[in-house]
Amino acid sequence: MSLAGKRILIAKPGLDGHDVGAKIIALALRDAGAEVIYTGLRKSPQYIARVAVEEDVDAVGLSILSGSHVDLVRDTVRHLREAQGGNIKIFVGGTIPQEDVEPLMTSGAAGVFNASQRIEDVVAEVGRLLDDA
Amino acid sequence: MPESQAGVLDATARRELAREISRLARASAQSVLRAAPVPMVPPARRIGFTGPPGVGKSTLVGKLVERRAAQGVSVGVLAIDPASPYSKGAILGDRIRMDQASGDPRVFMRSVSSRDSQDGMCNNVADILCAMEAHHFDELVLETVGVGQAEHAVKALVDTVVLLMQPETGDAIQALKAGILEVADIIVVSKSDLHGAPKMREVLASTVRFGAQRAVGWTVPVLGVSVETGKGLDELEAALTAHAAWVAANRTAAETQARRACYRVQDLVLRRLDDQLSALSPADYERPVAELYQRVLEGLRQT
Repeated sequence: MSLAGKRILIAKPGLDGHDVGAKIIALALRDAGAEVIYTGLRKSPQYIARVAVEEDVDAVGLSILSGSHVDLVRDTVRHLREAQGGNIKIFVGGTIPQEDVEPLMTSGAAGVFNASQRIEDVVAEVGRLLDDA
Repeated sequence: MPESQAGVLDATARRELAREISRLARASAQSVLRAAPVPMVPPARRIGFTGPPGVGKSTLVGKLVERRAAQGVSVGVLAIDPASPYSKGAILGDRIRMDQASGDPRVFMRSVSSRDSQDGMCNNVADILCAMEAHHFDELVLETVGVGQAEHAVKALVDTVVLLMQPETGDAIQALKAGILEVADIIVVSKSDLHGAPKMREVLASTVRFGAQRAVGWTVPVLGVSVETGKGLDELEAALTAHAAWVAANRTAAETQARRACYRVQDLVLRRLDDQLSALSPADYERPVAELYQRVLEGLRQT
């Protein structure tokens, strides 16, 4: 799977302070050829939307372990639209219960990943979803 | 201090500039020649920050830009990070050190990958800076990893070059070897709260005393700056102001334009040359060198 020429923002909204997963995904996406920008911890959805637009990314990967993923995804989608980045795809990764996948997808997420998935599969799925665009 | 709305971008302008930068960063030499951004008159004041990886460029730029924005100055930042030579992918990590500044409405901040460029810049960097300038920022900041040729490219593209060095490394000697001290208009010893910083400053100051810049009448200041404690930031801003005044008095706009145009042409020709060379096959290299040389020259002429 090649992500050559794709730009992806990896972002940590909300209050949890664990970004090992986010960094591993960032490296895997880089190794697949993407240009990856990482925001650092505890960023607001508004800030993430602004960075996504300024960096002209194809996708935003939100890493959320705090449990408030549904609200955070909804807010990020809204702020992205306001910042004229409505075409930027959103992926969500973290500790996401199965019953929350559906609400996340209807809120505007293009893909939802959890920690039990193989990293190669996550990268491949991101590539597939970006190629559809 | 300028307190205008110049360089304060709304959502539409932000989106447009972001897309234009992407377009230029991907554009081939030919396509950029067809639709090159026209240089702005008067151009923004351009400041370049360079130095080895980990020296603290992004942290310092982030802090400085935050201060400038608070004074009402609009700033466009272009940060260039290296690409992996294996996957061509990149982690563009400069933003993470600039998060205070990069939420400010007066700031536009963009990271780009050096991709396959030879000099540590990104493709069409001269055009990207022009495109940013067209949005009327008061200042443009260019941040690059110092890798040999990058310093010379920075020199051609900006008005003031700030070179960062760390305390307690072999950098003073390395700098003498590579000759990178000559391109600096201002030298900053970063992390100056660390042990070893005063000695580093001393060594650097005694080195630049005999440097090339002295011949043109500018004395290169060697400043200790600690973003951690805030010490030295006022001095750095004062030095930037002093150098801007020196540039205004000693360099004509025509000289600056000529230097930038020269870099732009060189960059485009070198990329065409790279294309020609990578089109050669192993079998081609069995031919005599003189023949290959002729063929490459002819290839350049055809486009």
